Amino acid sequence: MKRLARHRRTLISAASLIGLVALWELALRLGWLPGNLVPLPSSIPAVLWAEIHDGIWLEVVLASLSHYSVGLAIGSVLGIAVGVAAALVPTFDAAQSWLARLLRPIPPLAWIPFAIIWFGVTETAAAFIISIGVFWINYFTSYSAVRAVDDGYYEVAQAFGQGRFTARLAKISLPAAAPGILGGLRAGLGQGWMTVVAAELFGIPGIGQRMMEASGLLATDVVVVYMLTIAALYALFDFLFMSIQRRALRWQN
Amino acid sequence: MAELTSPSPAADAVLSARGVRLGFAGDVVLDGVDLDVAPREFVAVVGASGVGKSTLLRALAGLLTPQHGEVHLSAAGEPASRAWSMVFQAPRLFPWRRVRANVELGLEGLGLSRAERRARAMAPLELVGLAPLAERWPRTLSGGQQQRVGIARALAVKPRVLFMDEPFSALDALTRQRLQGELAELRRRSDAAIVFVTHDIEEAVLLADRVVVLAKPDEHAPAGVRDIVTVDLPLDQRRGQAGFREYVQRLEQHIGVAATHEETPS
Repeated sequence: MKRLARHRRTLISAASLIGLVALWELALRLGWLPGNLVPLPSSIPAVLWAEIHDGIWLEVVLASLSHYSVGLAIGSVLGIAVGVAAALVPTFDAAQSWLARLLRPIPPLAWIPFAIIWFGVTETAAAFIISIGVFWINYFTSYSAVRAVDDGYYEVAQAFGQGRFTARLAKISLPAAAPGILGGLRAGLGQGWMTVVAAELFGIPGIGQRMMEASGLLATDVVVVYMLTIAALYALFDFLFMSIQRRALRWQN
Repeated sequence: MAELTSPSPAADAVLSARGVRLGFAGDVVLDGVDLDVAPREFVAVVGASGVGKSTLLRALAGLLTPQHGEVHLSAAGEPASRAWSMVFQAPRLFPWRRVRANVELGLEGLGLSRAERRARAMAPLELVGLAPLAERWPRTLSGGQQQRVGIARALAVKPRVLFMDEPFSALDALTRQRLQGELAELRRRSDAAIVFVTHDIEEAVLLADRVVVLAKPDEHAPAGVRDIVTVDLPLDQRRGQAGFREYVQRLEQHIGVAATHEETPS
């Protein structure tokens, strides 16, 4: 496929986005779309400002971030630990293999009933649901990444007196699998954020709950404000993570 | 074969093998291998491909357990050193460590401080001429430079025995020749005995004090030590010396006979 020059590509992408928003605005103003189903794009900045000014925006964003960070941390740490252990310890691998195959296809949201029974409609329940999706992504990528480590490196470790399990783990398995493990962390970062909103829809305070409230009042402009908030926050996390990842993997290309 | 090796371990040997049998599952690849390596001696092991040279090397180092027989390797010679180390066919540097940290690998866990490790790693890097590249990532080095780092990593632990598994076979001809010259020079500055596996007979005659020929007596039997040839030539400029070609031809004949057997299965 022919490649476009970078500035040209940026120009086309920006024009396309602006064009779509303009078309949307135009369609509403000319009455092609009913105004109660979608908000006017030009009304969004004022609504966002109102949400911020009333303190609601910060409150719900912080609430969501708190479930998100707890769920993300627990899911990532456990996922990587179990994935790496299964890849390195054959007995543990065998012990967890069928269990993982059974539980893995169950989507995080299917755990909502148990989350409510066990934790009630609480922040812990939201963090629990978020952690499940994050866990599986990290489990699977860490497992594959550690399994893919070249055996030759382990022979080198053995030849240079680093054959103990802990030495091999710290000096070979983890650094050699780091590109895969970090890729999993990044995917979990996205997956967890998507689950946050869904987990809050059943009444736990946060962005999701605010969106449900707004939709009940047909305040589509508020819904769009939070959709954009979700997108912007995700872009921020991903950007920050990418810069950490680039630094951690600077030994690669 | 028996008269070529001594029946009991030589008293001053840093490495002795007796009656070593090696194989995978039910297959015996090598059998009845006896070998003694004296301190600072350079022993090359040659043989056709698939004869079990690398497998023997790993068994001598203790990375593989023989099906039968014994291997005895001297303990480390001085504090903060290791009994043996190895240079592999591919350099196998850790791409996530800088050059110096790669050379430090074998020094970790020997009770050295960071500063001591660093100093110990820089000495062999200077020996192989790569001290200026100590802080580079391995991927920025050429194949020959990477293999030099592999050699520095092995020398850093001051081994009694240095095992080298076809270390130059993956390099282009020019680089190989240069590294062969450097290795001949390194020998003078290191106290390690060297066991060097190669399929290149000229390389063996060029570098070794003794050349061990592994070959199969016939195509169905496991390989063993067919001959041990002492190369009685001064180390300087061996390639140009009168006897060089005769040694090469003699060894080629030994390996060639076995190779013909392999190529004509009944």
